[in-house]
Amino acid sequence: MRNITRVLIATAALGGTLAAATGAGLAASHPDLKWTAIFDSTGPAGAYGTSQKNALELAAADIDAGKIESGGQKISIDIQDSATSPAQVINIMQSAFGNGTSLIVGPTLSSEAFKADPLAVKANVPVMGVSNTANGITEMGPCVFRNSLSEAQIVPDVIEAAKKSWHVKTAAIIYGDDDQFTKADYTIFNADLPKAGVKVVDVETFHKGDVDFKAQLTKIKEAKPDVIVYGALYAEGAKLLDQARQVGLHGHEIGGNGFNSPQIIALAGKAADGVIVGAAWYAGAETNGNAAFVKNYTAKYSKSPDQFAAQAYAGAQIAAAAVKKSHPADAAGMCSALKQVGSVQTVIGPFKFASTRDADAHGFVVQIKNGTFSKFE
Amino acid sequence: MEWLVHFYALHSKLIDQVGINAIFALSLSITLQAGHLALANAAFGGIAAYVASLLSIARGWPLSVTTLIGAAAAALVGAAVGWPVTRLRGVYLAIATIGFGEIALIVENNLSITGGAEGLSQIPNQTTTWKIYLVLAVLAFIFWRLRRTRAGWAIAAVREDEHAAASFGIDPTRVKFWTFVASAAIAGVAGSLYAHENFFIAPGDWGFSRMVDILVYCVIGGAASPWGAMLGAGIISLLPEVFRFLHDYRDIVNGVVLLAVVIFAPQGLAGLWARDRRGRKATPPGAAEAQGS
Amino acid sequence: MFDQQLANGIFLGAVYALFAVGYTLIFGVLDILNLAHSAIFMASSFVALALVRHGVPFWAAFLAATMFGGALSVVLDRVAFAPLRARGVGGGALGPLISSIAFGIIVVSVMRGIFGPDEIGYPSGSVPTANLHLGHASFTAMDLSVLLVSLVMMILLSLLLKATPLGRAIRAVAENTKAASLLGINVEHTIGLTFLIAGALGAAAGILIGAQFNAVGILMGQRIELKGLAVIILGGMGSIPGAVLGGFLLGLLEVFSVAYLSSSYRDAIAFAVMFLILIVRPSGLLGKRAGRTA
Repeated sequence: MRNITRVLIATAALGGTLAAATGAGLAASHPDLKWTAIFDSTGPAGAYGTSQKNALELAAADIDAGKIESGGQKISIDIQDSATSPAQVINIMQSAFGNGTSLIVGPTLSSEAFKADPLAVKANVPVMGVSNTANGITEMGPCVFRNSLSEAQIVPDVIEAAKKSWHVKTAAIIYGDDDQFTKADYTIFNADLPKAGVKVVDVETFHKGDVDFKAQLTKIKEAKPDVIVYGALYAEGAKLLDQARQVGLHGHEIGGNGFNSPQIIALAGKAADGVIVGAAWYAGAETNGNAAFVKNYTAKYSKSPDQFAAQAYAGAQIAAAAVKKSHPADAAGMCSALKQVGSVQTVIGPFKFASTRDADAHGFVVQIKNGTFSKFE
Repeated sequence: MEWLVHFYALHSKLIDQVGINAIFALSLSITLQAGHLALANAAFGGIAAYVASLLSIARGWPLSVTTLIGAAAAALVGAAVGWPVTRLRGVYLAIATIGFGEIALIVENNLSITGGAEGLSQIPNQTTTWKIYLVLAVLAFIFWRLRRTRAGWAIAAVREDEHAAASFGIDPTRVKFWTFVASAAIAGVAGSLYAHENFFIAPGDWGFSRMVDILVYCVIGGAASPWGAMLGAGIISLLPEVFRFLHDYRDIVNGVVLLAVVIFAPQGLAGLWARDRRGRKATPPGAAEAQGS
Repeated sequence: MFDQQLANGIFLGAVYALFAVGYTLIFGVLDILNLAHSAIFMASSFVALALVRHGVPFWAAFLAATMFGGALSVVLDRVAFAPLRARGVGGGALGPLISSIAFGIIVVSVMRGIFGPDEIGYPSGSVPTANLHLGHASFTAMDLSVLLVSLVMMILLSLLLKATPLGRAIRAVAENTKAASLLGINVEHTIGLTFLIAGALGAAAGILIGAQFNAVGILMGQRIELKGLAVIILGGMGSIPGAVLGGFLLGLLEVFSVAYLSSSYRDAIAFAVMFLILIVRPSGLLGKRAGRTA
């Protein structure tokens, strides 16, 4: 054989070996990851858990298809139903640790998180809360993260917007006192309104599942507030809006986080027009990938996504970005990866973790107009 | 052996849950054995859970102390509520206890010391598996021995026929009262153990749906014996995990299983076994009411 | 404000009364806590909504779904209660309570499978939504419909029970099953018809209330079920006029406690009243049966 041919063959062989070795090396240092998502897709919190489940299924498909980048590392997401039972959240988690899960996404409710996350902390498996808004969640452990904005982060902006546009001086608050989510609306609005120079002239409460609010609304009407604040989830919220009109309340209104749901508009219709809401996201937000997310979600599930869905999807985006950046191999790696993820463009906007591992992001102030949420001027 | 260790590592929480649920089931079985349907066990568990947890958080006392105090608190409330309530019959007693449970829930939601709807967190994690099962074993033993004592006969007599029992010098109302207080105390023990197992409690943990769960334990397993109550708790606690592969259809299967057991085995699964052994039907708890008194 | 709150109380009371009328019938006749009533209430509401969404006019859908509720209630009896009666497990026993819970779980699960976990509303324009005024009080056309229907139901049902052979049979069975059968009454048949009527009433309540609040969801029965208990205890178990009276009283009590005390204890007051009635006078305002052993 001629010398040049030998050199060529040798080079090719060397190149091939190098490529194979690098390929094998890559595969060895980027093993498949397993995540476990725990949501209440049945039971009293079923409406929210189903949104989250849907969003995460979409996210899993998008990761597989490369639409959400994970740096080539394969991620399989196991979505489990905890049926609004803390016991089931705990059991799913415990089994997941045994199966080598490197990230827990969820659970749906803060009350479930308080019972179950300590187990993950003990097992050194990171948790990404996508709907936990109570105080004290990330304090549970150094690998507990969340991307859900709490009311405390959104409310000041809403109050400012209301003051600027509506010049409100007095307010009434009506909220659900048996749910941590809606009670937070009261706690925070009640503290922040006076700070902004708005006097709280009446406070009323109701319970989850109540259908009649006219007694409370009539009392609020008597107090003649410039603005009414509703601390309610969509089911009670829609009825509140309807009945407010029925008793003759037509003034300014602010909805808490729970109002950020297409169901409010579907159920209350015209009664919802004009309400402003402080939200972590809205369907018309011009954030990265949001238009595609809304379109795909609606096509797949025959209804538009709500905030629970958006935050769950964003959670997957953030975790995938962490994987892409740091190529973790296990749970410990996943935790460090999340800590180092930096800034991520998600459907809920540009996102990064604060040093406390809470969400460091801004909400939106939106208004319901003609059946959709749009930016409040 | 290694398999066992591994199994425990994966399922220790489930094992603990079964134990705590079994204690709740036992608390209900005692009133069922006396023939009355008292539906406040979840609420009593909650009262004890809050008392015990607040003491643990504020004082750092050991689990045995806080649980005893919690159970005593539950028993005291049980006595206060039971005094008027155990004079009622059948469905009225049941409804009164449901009403009490709802009131307790609302109070817990509105007091600031309980944390209201936000709940109570950072409860020291002092419950361990052996502690739960030790309590369970002791209670089961007491229940088992109770049958041969005068108290046990009195309870069974009141269940069978209140009027006949009265003619034997047994005061049915007293029996119902004391079984009610005892059931509150035992439920309180379960509640405290639950709180120290799960780091966090909220009023919603002790509502009517939780009471229905406990009721179902006794129905499935059979309330006539401590084994039945414990068997029922075990089966129902495991069911969601066993049926997990059914995804969203789990509920339907749960409902069908429950319906089937109630209809074909009204004394519960333990009752089926008891019937075979003795060759005659064991009297179902609460049947005395059926005679249209 | 008083006028409006009075109206609020009356119309809330009508909602409770409507639910309680069907609820108290089964109680009164069979002495069982039928926790599947709320499931029939809910399922019939969904059926009516589904029909309206397919273009059926509201009141026609109302009639159809009411019949559905009656039929479902008969199925409930056949599947969950009749087998227990056949075995001699009756009345105040645990079995029927649990089997009603089981049946309820199944119905809720099936409905969730078909309709999903969200609350859904009526298409706009399909339900009368006019806002009406009387003095200083405002209320809606549906509020008024619920009030009228609950009163009509009470009158019809009372007439049925007092003046018809079926009514006499039902009352006899409610008194004493054995004696009734000795009198030649077909007990099973009568019980079945009672379930039919109670189911239809529960369905009517569910459909109207779902339309009045424009929200039909799988959990809609569960909250009202416990309040319903308070109503029938207040009014007297088994008494139809009692259920209506109890409903209105509770509605007024709740509304005025909000207006003049605090909204936080609204539900607590309802259950406290129920608890007190049971202690002091278990037969309620209009009930006849004694509830005490000592």
